Amino acid sequence: MSSLINTVCKNHSLRAIALSGAIATCFVRVAYCQNAELHAPSGAIAGTQASIGTTGSGSATFYLQGPSTSAKRKVELGQDIPLTPKELQSAGRYIAVVCSDSCSSATFFVSPAKPSSLAFLVHPSRAPVAHNDVVSGVALPFDEFHNLVLEPVPIQFQLTAKSGSPTTHGTPTHGGIAWFRTSSGNSAGPLQVVASINEITAKRVVQQVASEACRLRIKGQRTPKGIVVETEPVRDCSGNPVPDGTIVTFTAKSGNQISFVDAPVKQDVARATMTAKGPVVLSAASGVAMGNEIRIGD
Amino acid sequence: MKSTINRLKRMYSLIFVLALSLSQTLLAADASPRVTLDVTKASPRTVENLTERAIARDYKFAWTSLSLALEGNDTAPLNGLFAGSADTWFRQLVTSQRQNGVTSRYLNQSHKVEASFYAPEGDVIELHDTAEYDLQILDGSRTVHNEHTVVHYVVLMTPAADRWVVRQIQAVP
Repeated sequence: MSSLINTVCKNHSLRAIALSGAIATCFVRVAYCQNAELHAPSGAIAGTQASIGTTGSGSATFYLQGPSTSAKRKVELGQDIPLTPKELQSAGRYIAVVCSDSCSSATFFVSPAKPSSLAFLVHPSRAPVAHNDVVSGVALPFDEFHNLVLEPVPIQFQLTAKSGSPTTHGTPTHGGIAWFRTSSGNSAGPLQVVASINEITAKRVVQQVASEACRLRIKGQRTPKGIVVETEPVRDCSGNPVPDGTIVTFTAKSGNQISFVDAPVKQDVARATMTAKGPVVLSAASGVAMGNEIRIGD
Repeated sequence: MKSTINRLKRMYSLIFVLALSLSQTLLAADASPRVTLDVTKASPRTVENLTERAIARDYKFAWTSLSLALEGNDTAPLNGLFAGSADTWFRQLVTSQRQNGVTSRYLNQSHKVEASFYAPEGDVIELHDTAEYDLQILDGSRTVHNEHTVVHYVVLMTPAADRWVVRQIQAVP
């Protein structure tokens, strides 16, 4: 903690002294100007009371200018000026000033208190399974007055998937921030992510969802209404069923004619009816996955 | 005789215009903070050029507006540029200054800002600002404190709808 002392003398009082020609008075006033010193608190903590020592005598006006507060009151020089916990809630730089005929000032810093909460940002809310470095989290410890705790604080990150043992990763904050990045698991389902400092915890949930379709198998048959084609249950490469709404594109080749139908996956299966005459070659694709080809005659 | 008077008139006009433009330049220098932003040390995400420019612009604008708010004891300039604790704190500061008849002026601001952390998803950036300025605190018209100082700030900025906002700003020793 550092402090700085500064003195501002009122110009008009010095001019008055010069005009009066009373040299003795001038000396007294200058000495007074130099004597009214402030002793700023060192090691002040947010939300705790402190005091500022003063020298000199007589009454003066005290000013306190902080990050979120501006106070002004009458004080007696030579006595300590108490600073209330409320006046020192915000961490940062404070300027204390006392003014009588002249002004003296001192600066001091207030440090954050102990961590009492964690801001925890986790991304994304839905992550595809088996992807590298897709889940990330940033934790910032704050004290009860919403000051960012800048001293290094050890933070534990714990990740627990639906099926599997929790993995824990500890890291200290640097500049008030700790973060992690990790790959998603192989199974779809909720991934609980917890950041903690002692008893202070913050929980977030990332929904791990199936990745893109990995293999497509289709089957089809001709009906009076057309060719009904459908996939077998569509799964990603880890065996998780892809989410409903995943688009599968069916293609029908009949001679030189090609027709396409997009169909969403519903309860693991995508289904479409295609109108084509004569022998037809049917195939399907979803994302980068290609399905098998099937031939259907007349 | 007439031409001499005209020449003098023109000369005085020129001097007046020059003096006016010079004073405006000086005033602008006082009012507008200088901000330089270095993002080379930012990690784990790299700061893109457009993002860098936006952050520098919005941080400068935040200080300009903060100065206006504290000099005029008006919370309006703070609107939309601060969020969370920073917004709450500065509004409290302006309100309490107004109650006490105190104002503060930040003059000749220069900010050397380094980005130290940029979140993997780009939703928060931490800046370390070495700010140099003249600070005056006035009670009415009386200057009670006047200093030239260098202050280090740790700043958190987050992206909002169309700009970056200051969410946390803490002076550190």
